[in-house]
Amino acid sequence: MSSTATEPAVTDAASRREPDTVVAHGVTKRYGSTRALNGVDLAVGPGEILGLVGHNGAGKSTLMRMLAGREQPDEGRISWRGGGGRWDARAAAAAGVRMVYQELALCADLTVAENAALSDPRPPRPGWRGTAERRIAEVLDTVFPGHGISVIRRAGELPMAERQMVEIARALCTDHLGLLILDEPTESLGVDATRQLYAHLKSLVSGGVSVLLISHRMQEVLEHSDRIAVMKDGAVVEIVDSAGATESALLTAMGGEVRADSGALARAAEVTGAVSAGAVSAGAVSQGSAETIAELRTGDGPAFRIAAGEIVGLAGLAGQGQEDVLARLWRGGRGVRAPKHRSYVPGDRQTSGILPLWSVAENLTISALAAVSRFGVVDGRAKRELARRWISALRVRGEAGTPITALSGGNQQKVLVARAFASDARLVLLDDPFRGVDVATKNELYALMKAEAAAGRAVVWYSTENGEMAHCERVYVFRSGRIVSELAGETNTEERIIADSFDDATGGAR
Amino acid sequence: MSTAVKPGPETTAIAAARTRRRLAWPAWGWSLVGVLLVWGCIVAVRPGAPLDPLMQAFSLAPFLVLVALGQMLVITLGPGNIDVSVGTVISMSSYVSVAVSASAGPVAGLLAAVAAGAAAGAVSVVAILLLRVPPIIATLATSLIVTSGTLLLADANRAGADPALRAFVNAKIAGIPVIAIVVALVTVLIALMLTRTRFGLSVVAVGQSARAAERAGLRVKTVTASAYLVCAAFAGLAGGLLAAFISPSTVLGSSYMLDSIAVVVIGGTLISGGRPVPVGAWTGAMFFVLLSGLLNLVGWSIGAQNILKGVLVVAVVIISTAATGTGRSTLARFRDALHLGKKETING
Amino acid sequence: MTTTAAAPRRSASRPRLADRLTTGAAHGSPALLSLVALIVIFSIAVANQPGILSVPGLTLMLMSAVPLVFAAQAQMLIMSVGDIDLGIGFLVGLVTVIAATQLGANPVLGIGMLVGIVAVYALLGLLVQRRGVPSIIVTLGMSFVWLGLGLQLLPTPGGAAPEWLAQLGSWRPNWIPAPLVFIALATLVGWYLARRSRIGMRMRALGSSAATLDKSGRSLTGTRVAAYALAAGLAVIAGLLLAAQTRSGDINSASNFTLMTIAAVILGGGTFSGGRALPVGATLGAVTLGLITVLLSLVNLSSSLQSAAQGLIVLAVLAGRVITERFTR
Repeated sequence: MSSTATEPAVTDAASRREPDTVVAHGVTKRYGSTRALNGVDLAVGPGEILGLVGHNGAGKSTLMRMLAGREQPDEGRISWRGGGGRWDARAAAAAGVRMVYQELALCADLTVAENAALSDPRPPRPGWRGTAERRIAEVLDTVFPGHGISVIRRAGELPMAERQMVEIARALCTDHLGLLILDEPTESLGVDATRQLYAHLKSLVSGGVSVLLISHRMQEVLEHSDRIAVMKDGAVVEIVDSAGATESALLTAMGGEVRADSGALARAAEVTGAVSAGAVSAGAVSQGSAETIAELRTGDGPAFRIAAGEIVGLAGLAGQGQEDVLARLWRGGRGVRAPKHRSYVPGDRQTSGILPLWSVAENLTISALAAVSRFGVVDGRAKRELARRWISALRVRGEAGTPITALSGGNQQKVLVARAFASDARLVLLDDPFRGVDVATKNELYALMKAEAAAGRAVVWYSTENGEMAHCERVYVFRSGRIVSELAGETNTEERIIADSFDDATGGAR
Repeated sequence: MSTAVKPGPETTAIAAARTRRRLAWPAWGWSLVGVLLVWGCIVAVRPGAPLDPLMQAFSLAPFLVLVALGQMLVITLGPGNIDVSVGTVISMSSYVSVAVSASAGPVAGLLAAVAAGAAAGAVSVVAILLLRVPPIIATLATSLIVTSGTLLLADANRAGADPALRAFVNAKIAGIPVIAIVVALVTVLIALMLTRTRFGLSVVAVGQSARAAERAGLRVKTVTASAYLVCAAFAGLAGGLLAAFISPSTVLGSSYMLDSIAVVVIGGTLISGGRPVPVGAWTGAMFFVLLSGLLNLVGWSIGAQNILKGVLVVAVVIISTAATGTGRSTLARFRDALHLGKKETING
Repeated sequence: MTTTAAAPRRSASRPRLADRLTTGAAHGSPALLSLVALIVIFSIAVANQPGILSVPGLTLMLMSAVPLVFAAQAQMLIMSVGDIDLGIGFLVGLVTVIAATQLGANPVLGIGMLVGIVAVYALLGLLVQRRGVPSIIVTLGMSFVWLGLGLQLLPTPGGAAPEWLAQLGSWRPNWIPAPLVFIALATLVGWYLARRSRIGMRMRALGSSAATLDKSGRSLTGTRVAAYALAAGLAVIAGLLLAAQTRSGDINSASNFTLMTIAAVILGGGTFSGGRALPVGATLGAVTLGLITVLLSLVNLSSSLQSAAQGLIVLAVLAGRVITERFTR
């Protein structure tokens, strides 16, 4: 682990006889103002399982889409078996690149066999349905013996674990497989199926197939891959041979905390201690400021609580139940206690944030109309004044009358944050709102949030950027739909969040 | 994009937006051009008394404008929202108005017509919000139920329109029909409502993005229900007035269903929702009434007129629908290109 | 459902016939609602008129459902990709008009017109996919074009269907009610197109998850165009059969088909969001709704109330859907 390999692994491959299956040369990709990939060099050799690890937003998924030809790099190029030419979806399909998607790209209304037939590259023959049924059944039998899946059932009817198996088997329904890309394939698989999958991967690579395995289950990656590439902030920061690597070394490389002992037992004890420590300091906070204003339970983990004047973070890997907590706090319902006046800052600006046909001022004041209207009639002057105040306070580029779509993403986000705080909400919910927002804007918004919390509002903040959690008084770390730890004060560090969110011992998945 | 003070693409876009505001070509502009063109054609076909066709249109158009204003509110709610029951509601409420005014006077008659419309709207609202039926099917079912109501009322009713109401809808001040002035006032009220009241702004916000509106804390269901009720009530009012202007009939409103949608779309209201254009209801309705007059004048059959209307609606929808998802229509971009003479970035 | 004999070795997880039957039944269960409704309505009708239980009786009873079943299969194809066709009523009416005015006198022109209709539908599919225009507005606008064309060709009901079509309509075998044959045929065609063929699979994939269809490298446009064109073909058949029964043309003869076909698809277990196509369910739904119309006239319901009855039944069906969904979840 001593060699921090920012150099491409091509040098590695030079020692082998065959050319690398696929190589990324200095691949860079930008989405608006964010750099998703920043000059990535990576090679997957023939007959190799390459593990790819990294925390949220490290660029794993983007890199994967590039390698599968689904997106084109802004700079750099992808080459297949040392060849040149354009690398797009068509070329990738012809070369035998198959992908297992994390978000399970199955049509819920189609049967298992039909889903397989849909993505099968082989030309159709008469009696295609029978052929498709036989092919997918054979693959399922080979990879997951004793799976018990009926191939004529609809994909939507299957439990998650079986859907995952189908998604994997479907990618294997092909005659020539060159590169198999797996994105979190074992997320919902059981122990047996996971073992079966890795056994099959072994037999695949012995036949010369290359496998790119993306997973946040460190133990699995360590155990089953030949080499491991660690990504951080859009770049591959380290490539190690898994034989000599340890979990803590990988965590360190991706920015996590170094621990003396990586044994599961010791870590579990530590986490238990962390929870109680967090609870103590949280208790101190509540005593100092105000009463708990919102509360809810998630699964069998600790309950979520927030007091007025607090900023509470929801952390962990994306999609581990944080959005669910936000949605329940927003909509209310059983088992949820929340104040009547709430506001919400959505993360997905385009579909659930901005009102695209309106100006900045109209977007900003829509949640606060009650305050500036009498008998349902809006006082134009008060509304303009409110908008003007927030626009200057947050230094939004453009004027009140500028169309919202003329602003950059960061400035749109400022408007949405201002919308939430311009209302009389006591509880403000933030759904990972600062993705793709530049640093200067972020700092302004952090300051605003702190000032607003100090004025007595409660802020719940879900973020996939662990660094942001430093701005929170307390942080709940999520794993598999429940809170696994509560961090506060000294324990609230980025390293701890990363460590806890990968922690299998607390996650209960293994 | 950094916030440093240097002229980046964002600054250009904001500046362009500012220019656009000053030079803005109104959304109803094209329909006004259409009105003038058709008027010109009519005058060319039948010279002499060029103002006559306009005045005639002013006495016919207000009813269509009323229905179109309601339809505009519903369409503004966003994709999939449409009320196809307005035609049958007009027919039914024409009978209601006549029957009630025969016994309780014209004002009560009009109020009853409005109430009958709102009741039909309530059926649609229940189907849409409780049974989760797509609006088009819900209002279609409502229109079937209303049709039966119309037939029953038509069997029972032999009364004529109230003379006072008849006088009112035919009255003119300085050659301009009173009803046109009244409906113009209603249009102004609707325009103010859409820009100055919480309800109006909520309708527009829901239409731009129901998800975003829900996240902004707006009561999407209440707003939706209200818009459908208002639309049906306006159709009821139009039916009550038409009963006096023409006479109650079971097919009185049948042409208003497509016409109201066409008027709304032609008037510049975005079919994908979120941008109502109340003035466009007037220009669109005048265009339609004049076009109908012109086609009758040159001897087009009903069939040919239907074909033209259908093609017109489809064509306008195709041209104006925002394929970008930002709600910017192709036509608007084309217009901007004409005005500014260069392509510009809309998204920062 | 067939099992290919060519399978070299029988895979352990290839489903057996019993599995296929139970899975098929489970998939078809949303159509159960319409089956129950059909049995109830049929029982009421038989109780009123015992004479129905004979070949001529059933023929009379089911005749009106035949064009509706074909139109419902057409609507089912459109709805399987997530769209709704609001023009199908007048489209079927227009086909009867073309059949009564052109097919006999000028077959080439008549057939050309019918092919033209299919081409226009393919174009509509293209527009909906490429321009993102809402299908309901486009088809609503087109319904007025169909109406106008019908009025132009035949301003008042009349004309005469060609002899071959009239003979088809008067075909009366004495061992089975003729409508049952047509209804079975319609179901078979719908089943093949939507469930059996590859293009049908793509259509359902488009309605279920367009992104997945795109990821698997298939053309979204081609799929939607195919759905519209196939639906138009079925609607044309529906119109021809209606003309065969009435032996004349009338643009308004099928104006209630628009709502009836949509209701039939939903009653038969379809969804508004697309992705699902249940041909047997659509047929059961269409027959049920067709029988309701017949029943309403059997029980001497005033003609004024018939449309309200239809509207209320449609709403009741949709309410039933909401209730059954709540129970099955």
